[in-house]
Amino acid sequence: MSSLGNGNNNGQTYWRSLDEVADTPEFRSFMHREFPSGASELLDGGDRRHFLRIMGASMALAGMGIGGCRRWPEEKIAPYANRPEGTMPSEARYYASMLELGGVASSILVTSYDGRPTKIEGNDSDPNILGASTSFTQASILDLYDPDRGRSVIDRLEHPEEPKPSNWKAFDSWAKPHFDGLADVDGEGLWFLSEATTSPSIERLQRQLRKRYPKATWVTWEPLADTAASAGLDHAFTGNWRARHDLSQADVIVSFDCDFLGQHPDELRLSKEWAKGRRPKMEDGHAKMNRVFIAEPTLSITGCSADERLALSPDAITVLAARVAAAITGNQSIAAPFESSGIETPQVDTIVADLKSHAGSSVVMAGSRQPRFVHHLCALINESLGNAGKTVSYMKLSPSAMTTASLPELVESIKAKRIKTLVMIGGNPAYDAPAELDFAARLGDVPTTIHLSREDNETSQLCAWHLNRTHPLEQWGDGRAWDGTYTICQPLILPMFEGRSSIQFLAMLAGEPLTDGFDIVRTTEAELSGSKDQSAGFSPRWRSLLHDGFVKNSGWAMESPRVDGSKISRGAEVTAEGLQKGSDATAVFASDYSVYDGRFANNGWMQELPDPISKLTWDNAVVIGPSHAKRLGIKTGDMVRVVVGSASVEAAALVETGQAADVITLPLGYGRRFQGRVCYDSGFDFYPLRRSDAMWSAPARVEKIEGSYILARTQNHWAMDKVDGRGIEERLPMIFREADVTTWEKNPGFAGSLGHKIHSLSLWDDQLQYEGARFKWGMSIDLGACTGCGACVVACQAENNIPIVGKDQVRMGREMSWLRIDRYYRFKESSAGQFETDQPERVAIQPMLCQMCENAPCEQVCPVAATVHDMDGLNVMVYNRCVGTRYCSNNCPYKVRRFNYFDYFRREPLRETGMLQVQPSYYLRRQSGNDPLRRMQFNPEVTVRMRGVMEKCTFCTQRIEAAKIKAKNAWVKKPEAEKASGIRLSIPDGTITPACAQTCATDAIVFGDLMDTESKVSKAHADSRSYELLGELNIKPRNRYLARVYNAVEGERYPDDFHGHGGHGHGSHGGYGGHGDHHDDHHGDDHGHDHSAGSKDH
Amino acid sequence: MGRYHFVFPRWSNLLLPAIIVFALTAPPYVVFMVAWGFSPRTTDVGYMPTQPIPFSHAVHAGELGIDCRYCHNTVEHSAYAAIPPTQTCMNCHLQVHPNSEKLKPLYESYETGMPVEWIKVHDLPDYAYFNHAAHVNRGVSCVECHGRIDTMEVVHQVEPLSMKWCLDCHREPEPHLRDPDLVTQLEWGWAMTDAERIAEGTKWAEINQLQPSQDCSTCHR
Repeated sequence: MSSLGNGNNNGQTYWRSLDEVADTPEFRSFMHREFPSGASELLDGGDRRHFLRIMGASMALAGMGIGGCRRWPEEKIAPYANRPEGTMPSEARYYASMLELGGVASSILVTSYDGRPTKIEGNDSDPNILGASTSFTQASILDLYDPDRGRSVIDRLEHPEEPKPSNWKAFDSWAKPHFDGLADVDGEGLWFLSEATTSPSIERLQRQLRKRYPKATWVTWEPLADTAASAGLDHAFTGNWRARHDLSQADVIVSFDCDFLGQHPDELRLSKEWAKGRRPKMEDGHAKMNRVFIAEPTLSITGCSADERLALSPDAITVLAARVAAAITGNQSIAAPFESSGIETPQVDTIVADLKSHAGSSVVMAGSRQPRFVHHLCALINESLGNAGKTVSYMKLSPSAMTTASLPELVESIKAKRIKTLVMIGGNPAYDAPAELDFAARLGDVPTTIHLSREDNETSQLCAWHLNRTHPLEQWGDGRAWDGTYTICQPLILPMFEGRSSIQFLAMLAGEPLTDGFDIVRTTEAELSGSKDQSAGFSPRWRSLLHDGFVKNSGWAMESPRVDGSKISRGAEVTAEGLQKGSDATAVFASDYSVYDGRFANNGWMQELPDPISKLTWDNAVVIGPSHAKRLGIKTGDMVRVVVGSASVEAAALVETGQAADVITLPLGYGRRFQGRVCYDSGFDFYPLRRSDAMWSAPARVEKIEGSYILARTQNHWAMDKVDGRGIEERLPMIFREADVTTWEKNPGFAGSLGHKIHSLSLWDDQLQYEGARFKWGMSIDLGACTGCGACVVACQAENNIPIVGKDQVRMGREMSWLRIDRYYRFKESSAGQFETDQPERVAIQPMLCQMCENAPCEQVCPVAATVHDMDGLNVMVYNRCVGTRYCSNNCPYKVRRFNYFDYFRREPLRETGMLQVQPSYYLRRQSGNDPLRRMQFNPEVTVRMRGVMEKCTFCTQRIEAAKIKAKNAWVKKPEAEKASGIRLSIPDGTITPACAQTCATDAIVFGDLMDTESKVSKAHADSRSYELLGELNIKPRNRYLARVYNAVEGERYPDDFHGHGGHGHGSHGGYGGHGDHHDDHHGDDHGHDHSAGSKDH
Repeated sequence: MGRYHFVFPRWSNLLLPAIIVFALTAPPYVVFMVAWGFSPRTTDVGYMPTQPIPFSHAVHAGELGIDCRYCHNTVEHSAYAAIPPTQTCMNCHLQVHPNSEKLKPLYESYETGMPVEWIKVHDLPDYAYFNHAAHVNRGVSCVECHGRIDTMEVVHQVEPLSMKWCLDCHREPEPHLRDPDLVTQLEWGWAMTDAERIAEGTKWAEINQLQPSQDCSTCHR
């Protein structure tokens, strides 16, 4: 081991990655170089000489061409012929609309410039969204401008192998007689296969369809649907129920593999409520905050933030749930059938004790990987504890208006030749249906297949007709949020490729007289509200509905019915019999944080968004735990074969901590066969391993095979801890500060007293530059509330015209995201300087962006003053001055500056040949930047940067400027007497919100004016947990972090000396076992001395 | 004598001083010519493209006295002083000159709904974010940047609109300020002496507590 591994780590040691623990050469190379090896090579396959040749030639050309550029190209202004009232050209307007994902609607607010939607935010007045949004919502705007969208109807009716671009008119004239014929036989042989939806209009149209085609059948298929939950609640309450949890009242949260912060349809509200309970408060002399237990087979976003995490296989989690339920309800028949399994479950007593002591203010939830039995148990536990009606309530969903069937039943019917016409609405079943159904092959047996889809995808390519569907921002529609709130979808732009929406299409099939989206939604709305004024297009009620985007209190009724416990014992027996026995390994399928079920695979922002856990971009991989991998002789990047039953898939392996013993994780949604320019060769498709009877976990075998695969991970990029040896040991606990709540209780200012004292003597008169400033912008990031979900990263990308760079460039460390999320692991040290890397003790997550240092080191080294301060304290980057020395990035201690190695958005004219060629391989397919369609997404308020300039976070200076101008204009208009009275021009707190803060579900990021002592950010800076990152460098960052406080069961985990500068007395320290105690001896008050002495001893 | 065939002629002695003189004068000359020749003052001032309709500001704003904001009505609220929609022109031109040949593109636009494509005269680089509302509300008149538009038959650029030129005013705004209510009265203040003008500007700078920013982030984002 290097000095990294030597003891003396103050009882806690953070690691960026497993590579770092193992101290691999790759990791060392990243740490030693400012930019990774190869990053300074400008051209693939080229070299410096080639570069000089090109530069020489370009200078010569510049000399010749100079006579021609007397004035820049002529620009035209095209004013409206008839400007709509109230519009102002080039001013942003905001409209409420809606997005539906997996049958759950979320209300959104869309920014539009001159009829061109550019950005999506969560609707801040919707209680389910609260202004926040997920990374999927943020990235959906890019889907609107996806160059690979279906641009026309495609006709494969006659010649499947020669798709023929067609149009809706041709389809209509074909469809009219076809569907009239089906109506004549009452819809015999007509089947619908739809993605999940809760649209009231579709519900209404289903009733119409049923009238016209009484024998037609409706199948809903959603690969990531939580069917176990509804089945479990069916057992508990009978019927179609849905649970709604309220974490604001929950002091103890127990999750059986439910990633409620990362992958729950209601995650935004849950995250917000969870975060409120994460800010420790003093009550009656005791610290109070919530506690989260999670048992999960693989590390999730919730797992990273949980206070107690158990890594267990799905079966063991089931057993754990049964034992907890048995202890709480006193019904031993729940747990008894599992005793023969021999599965050990730790912490049952702790969980039970915690739940019992918080009866009525606790909640138990289960995830989609758990069987329905566990969902049933959760309802039972919550009822026994008196949580029902308080922290959890249930909503009854209405049954479908049509005859329904399941996907396997549909395939059976195809085999029995009962299906004549299959109409598919959205979805991609040829790609994501369970493997044993062999859906893609069966599709060919249906005489007529029609697929309405956003892109000509895997399923469309097997259908007689591909019908291009509109993007949600191009259509009228409606839907219901998780709690049933009626939400409306209004178009922001006319369909760009003459697509049609699902409701338009279904209305046509239903033979409705009105097939315009507006009329359909309007009719549904009138029906729902029971009003008679259908004809009045714009009644006040309709207007306010469009303005708000949803109807308040229109959700389903919240109930807490009695749980039917009669099926519990039987359920336990059945579930116990079904436990997997004697398999080598357990494969668990995971919904991917980047591509969902695969539908975001062609979205460049999502592909380049690093996975919150593994920091993998552009790919997925088989995730294997370290000792499991070691046993099989597998390293990250090795090719492995995963065998489930008779199916096998060859894929790359990724060794990552946090896996339960012998559990491998298979993230779904990659390896698309669809030839999109972004998704065409990224990752591996694990759907072929997924069967209807084992949708979420299956016994599997992993074997190493020949070959390797290159994975692009960002976890070792942009390391702040570059200093070798001692530096890392000393710095990381200083960078990410956290403590148990008991420590906080004794010493709330523990974070501030950590680290070295700042030498406040400065080389410059640093306050001089702010004399007369009217504002002092600052930010605060709450590490206790950040879940690391990555929505802010995508929001930043959307707001600031940040390019994606592609997998090869990411590998070279050239990703452009201004905001990154650092993730560190803390491992327990076993004997002899070895670390137990199978499970992280704790995962630290830290968003990192420009800290707007007042004494900015980047400014001091720029030879051309391209980065300077403005009066308000922003460290601004002047792109036009930048000559690309990259000194600033070298000198930035936070490593938050990004360099444009290429003109990623590729301006015209593109030189593809000749001396000045821009290597097209960098741009083709991966980077859709040059597409005129893609360009429509650009935020006109932000400069699109060129090759060769540095860029970084600006605190969304365009939003600051807009707010300043507005406030100043209003101020000037005030009466003179008022102006003369000397009141300060101020912008109300909360007016300016940077994109990252706006999208954050947990309000972890707060921005505002530090001159206003009442502002949220001033209060956050004054919080006891607040600390400056690398403050010892005397760079005076304007961003401060709030240290994380967690609420572990065992209480005080740190030796008191660790917080030595705070000066409280020595007390006992529980937990941590022998290792922690062993090291206590070394700890003195002086870190520096301690380390230098300690690091050589071992 | 043959060996003297290759001796330089006598006049060649002048070459050295000539080269020295050239070497000393040429670089400053080139620098001067390039700086002067490519400065916005040379290249941009006077730019006067031919528009699709020979619209005369001299007639409309000057003779008829139509206020600037009748047509450019977003100027007080938006970054851009929008070019009026065809509709605005038609408020009068449904009656005035309904058969004019020169106005043909206008009537076409009215009928088809397609815009009249005007050529941009005052064209800032895309990385500079100028905001009209921020200036006119604080008493910077149209005339300070656009000149006496009310006397122009064909609009042309009269100021360089360069960064230095912007900064000159941001550093010393007094000679360019007036009562915000008078910003569209282009002829205002022409009769004043410099001292009177500056006194007036200083007064308004104080009333509105103006501190024109010189930060990069003010105009560049």
